Amino acid sequence: MLVLLELGAIAALWATLLRAHRHNRQLEQLMAMADSKLMLLQRQFERFVPAELVEQLTEAGRDIEPRRKQVTILFADLRGFTAMCDELDPALTVTILNDYFSRMIPAIARHHGQVTELVGDGLLALFGALENNPWQALDAVVAAQAMRAELAAYNAELSARGLPTLRFGIGIHSGEVVAGMIGTGGLSKFTITGDPINVASRIEGLTSHFQVDLLITDEIRSGLDERFQLRAMPPATVKGKPAPIQTYFVLPESVPDTAPVAQ
Amino acid sequence: MAKLIDEIIQWGEPLLPVATDPAWEAEILSRGGRPNNVDLRMSPLPWLREFVFSARTYFYNVAEMPERLFPMVAMVVAQENACRYCYGINRSVLKISGYSEAFIDAIERDVRVAELDDKESAVLAFSRRLARARPRPLRAEAEHLIGLGYSPLAVAEIVSCVASSSFYNRVITMTACPPQEDLEQASRSPLDVLKQIGAAFRQGIAARRQITRQIQSLPAVALMGGPFGTALASLGGLPAAAGMKAAVDGAMASSVLSAAAKGLIVAVVARALGCTYSEGEARRLLYQEGLDDAAIDSALATLKSDHLQGAHSELLSWARNTVKYDTPVMQQETHALAAQLGQPAVLEAIGTAALANALVRLAMLLEH
Repeated sequence: MLVLLELGAIAALWATLLRAHRHNRQLEQLMAMADSKLMLLQRQFERFVPAELVEQLTEAGRDIEPRRKQVTILFADLRGFTAMCDELDPALTVTILNDYFSRMIPAIARHHGQVTELVGDGLLALFGALENNPWQALDAVVAAQAMRAELAAYNAELSARGLPTLRFGIGIHSGEVVAGMIGTGGLSKFTITGDPINVASRIEGLTSHFQVDLLITDEIRSGLDERFQLRAMPPATVKGKPAPIQTYFVLPESVPDTAPVAQ
Repeated sequence: MAKLIDEIIQWGEPLLPVATDPAWEAEILSRGGRPNNVDLRMSPLPWLREFVFSARTYFYNVAEMPERLFPMVAMVVAQENACRYCYGINRSVLKISGYSEAFIDAIERDVRVAELDDKESAVLAFSRRLARARPRPLRAEAEHLIGLGYSPLAVAEIVSCVASSSFYNRVITMTACPPQEDLEQASRSPLDVLKQIGAAFRQGIAARRQITRQIQSLPAVALMGGPFGTALASLGGLPAAAGMKAAVDGAMASSVLSAAAKGLIVAVVARALGCTYSEGEARRLLYQEGLDDAAIDSALATLKSDHLQGAHSELLSWARNTVKYDTPVMQQETHALAAQLGQPAVLEAIGTAALANALVRLAMLLEH
């Protein structure tokens, strides 16, 4: 009887061990899958922000030190889109806006810029914020040229579908800003702050005033060569600036590499 | 893991055909090597094929750094450079060397959680940063490795290994050499791993005997003359120095691309990585070609130059993108450049840009 009890206990123990072993293996497999997914996610994330930043963000207990940096800022805003929204079906409005952004964001990324904000129908892109970029002014203007080409291609599509076409205004300026993680708790992000960002926004506003689509400041002009054809605009006073600002219209005839990419 | 590698690193169509070159194949065999598809794709350009062979057989010439660390360093550099070919090979080499998948995964993800001691972890962390080069590791970081017990020459060899791997990764990536799937496949089955260990052991002994016999360790003084002399002199006494020196001299002597084009490519890469020493060396080369500071400054500011007209006009924009790249985009851009320049010139452009990326990493230790 005692022997039978002992055998029963051993069998029960063995069964428990086997179950535990199986459970362990399942847990290990789950861990490995989760690890693989995390690694893939991290690698995908690194396509949009530098690996160093991803590493800092994913390391517990490490903060990103705020830094002063020379950054080029590009603001783009759709002209008359709010009025268009009132006339179009909401779903169609969102589709058009999403299609527009799906063309603009890669055009900027191809030229070393990062889109950091989408506000309504506007976007903010930075050049040189995440890593040093000696060609940031050049990149921003070439990116804007690429955006023009993308918009022209998209407008051709919209026209063919009998839909209204889009127009945008782009303002580009550069200067020293503070870059870092700004915000609190769950609502924080890597961004920049400083006067140049306000100036860039005002320059974008001037495109409406001057009825042009792309304006740059003297700080940007100094980074360009003679391939870019510019027209000086009358100096204009903008909010928050005591002296008028000199801007330049970048003529569409300016060349470089701006062909739309096949979707 | 292979599936994951393929998901992470998209890889395009090869840029170059596998050339038939019996003389080069015979030469590699006579050195104890086995010609592979990379050697043959590079064979039309002598200086490049030599340095590619030198970089891929670097392991047999490791003299000062711990041999165990070499494949680990090569793997993290390949990972940073998103080189599908080298990443796959180095993973397989580690597997064949007896490391578990879990250990390799840990190195890839975070060296601090791998089963390595502090000295070894420090080398891998340093190598990863040097491969990235943004921000640049400072000389103090190399001195930290010396503080941990590595000799200055061992640290120089670690730097050289990262530089050579950065070169090799870029050449392979830009030419999109197809991954060596047979080796990757073999590292997945235990029986094949055993076979590979035996084969690698036999080949390793044979290759080490022959390859190392032919490579002389040049003293620092012999490396000082010519472009990048000060940076190359930091490798004085290491077998790797001769290959690097021959590559620099060979690239500059080759006439497939103009010397001005090559000097400007080096200057652009140096400017992108903020290396004043390397930019200064490039300027010296460009002065010899008749460019003055104004012409160089203009080229560096606009990525255009009067010395690069027609098909060569996009060379500097392309070179700038070899510093940090999205692999499929880089491969597409290189295909586009090849369509403009033709194969011999694009091969020299690729070699020069990759060499510039290596030299800048080598030079980083000269700057505080």
